[in-house]
Amino acid sequence: MEPEYSPTVVDHFERPRNGGHFEAGEGVIRGTAGSVAQGTMFVLSARIADDRLEAVRFEAYGCPHCIAAGSWLSERLVGLTREQLRAWRWRDADRALQFPLEKRGRLLILEDAVHALGEAWARLIP
Amino acid sequence: MTAAKTIYLDYAATTPVDPRVAEVMIDCLRPDGAHGNPSSGHTFGTRARAMIEKARQQVAAAIGARPECIIWTSGATESDNLAILGVARFHADRGRHLITSRTEHKAVLDAFKQLEKEGFDVTWLKPGADGIVRPEQVREALRPDTQLVSLMHVNNETGVIQDVAAMGAICRERGVAFHVDAAQSAGKLPLNVEAMNIDLLSLTAHKAYGPKGIGVLYVRRRPPLGLRPLSYGGGQETGLRSGTLPTHQIVGMGLAFEVGEREREADVARITALRERLWRGLCAIGGVELNGHPTERVAGVLNVCFHNVEGESLRFGLRELAVSSGSACASGSDEASYVLRALGRSDQLAQSSIRFSLGRFTTEDDVDRAIAIVNREVARLRALAPHGT
Repeated sequence: MEPEYSPTVVDHFERPRNGGHFEAGEGVIRGTAGSVAQGTMFVLSARIADDRLEAVRFEAYGCPHCIAAGSWLSERLVGLTREQLRAWRWRDADRALQFPLEKRGRLLILEDAVHALGEAWARLIP
Repeated sequence: MTAAKTIYLDYAATTPVDPRVAEVMIDCLRPDGAHGNPSSGHTFGTRARAMIEKARQQVAAAIGARPECIIWTSGATESDNLAILGVARFHADRGRHLITSRTEHKAVLDAFKQLEKEGFDVTWLKPGADGIVRPEQVREALRPDTQLVSLMHVNNETGVIQDVAAMGAICRERGVAFHVDAAQSAGKLPLNVEAMNIDLLSLTAHKAYGPKGIGVLYVRRRPPLGLRPLSYGGGQETGLRSGTLPTHQIVGMGLAFEVGEREREADVARITALRERLWRGLCAIGGVELNGHPTERVAGVLNVCFHNVEGESLRFGLRELAVSSGSACASGSDEASYVLRALGRSDQLAQSSIRFSLGRFTTEDDVDRAIAIVNREVARLRALAPHGT
């Protein structure tokens, strides 16, 4: 018996935005969390310009909710500053995608990936 | 996704009713059909009784049994329970040791777990990575107080065939009752309870193009086996299964088994060719592995694990296909298949496994479209997965 998926989840699962990654280079940062063995893994990569995220790419191994969350997030993070990235919390994604209760732990992995992205950004700044 | 657009590749879960079977069942249900109670002595009852006895002969002939050994039940779950609980409880004063395997259907596993709660001692045989339980494992597990060995003929998830004839010979030699769940083998493999030394055999109609809600337990009569019924009432089926017999269901099962046996060889040849076509198409995608023994398996089942693809996303991506992960009979469970875990698959690979099961009405076009859909979704999900996973 498969769980129900909201229309937003189905839309992002079927037509994921910004899938893939930026190759390492100047102004490119990367944040990773989770593992395949855990069943959920996110890799976020982003290009920075003028102290803001200019473009974001995502890779995800996980259930349809996770793939949809990666896609949804890749659009929402564009334009954020480092402080805004640090302040990002999983509840935003939960409100938009209506994760089932038993899957909310996977959003914490997504939050870890966002914060890892922020830490990578911090390392870029001397 | 509408049912009309969905490609049905879930014959191991249940089969459509063959139109020939549906026709005889509908005839039974018409006002001039067979509405009489088969236990009644009047014309209506004797007409229904005659139809039931004909069906009993049809099923008996399909498994090489005498008709009086056929007990009608509601399906394989009830047959399994009647066989396992019935023998164990009847002979409890002679011994309380029982043998089965870890990859049996839930109807068998849970019946044995119930008996453990009642104080019985169960040996759970572990199959090899290919899903096969070796007959020698059965011999080694037998004890002086063993009352029953229960093993399935064909595994419902992998399609792997067990050598039940060899196991039956070992049990017969030691005087231990031998039960076989043959829900997945009727119409797919030759079945002969005498030649295979089987004392109890569970069958169901709905996996052999018959209706749901009807099954059979074959019970050896000579020498008498000793079986305690699960329910009590009108004493039908020689007291082993009380309750008014459902004539239309029984007539359907009878014809389904007669047709299944008559057309078995042609069906198996055609379905084997389709399964090989499907397997070649899936192999071309890459990163796939067969679950279970490569050759000792029935024609219609192909259980495949997909590397680097998460299971739930794969199943949702493949919703144009009616396929299964694990057993459809374990409804509501999203845990990794216990059968594939027992074969040594990791949780991730067990969850990324899909059972494709083909049958009498599957076409080459169904298979080709299925390959294209799987190829599209697996490639899409792998492209989204973190590099190197």
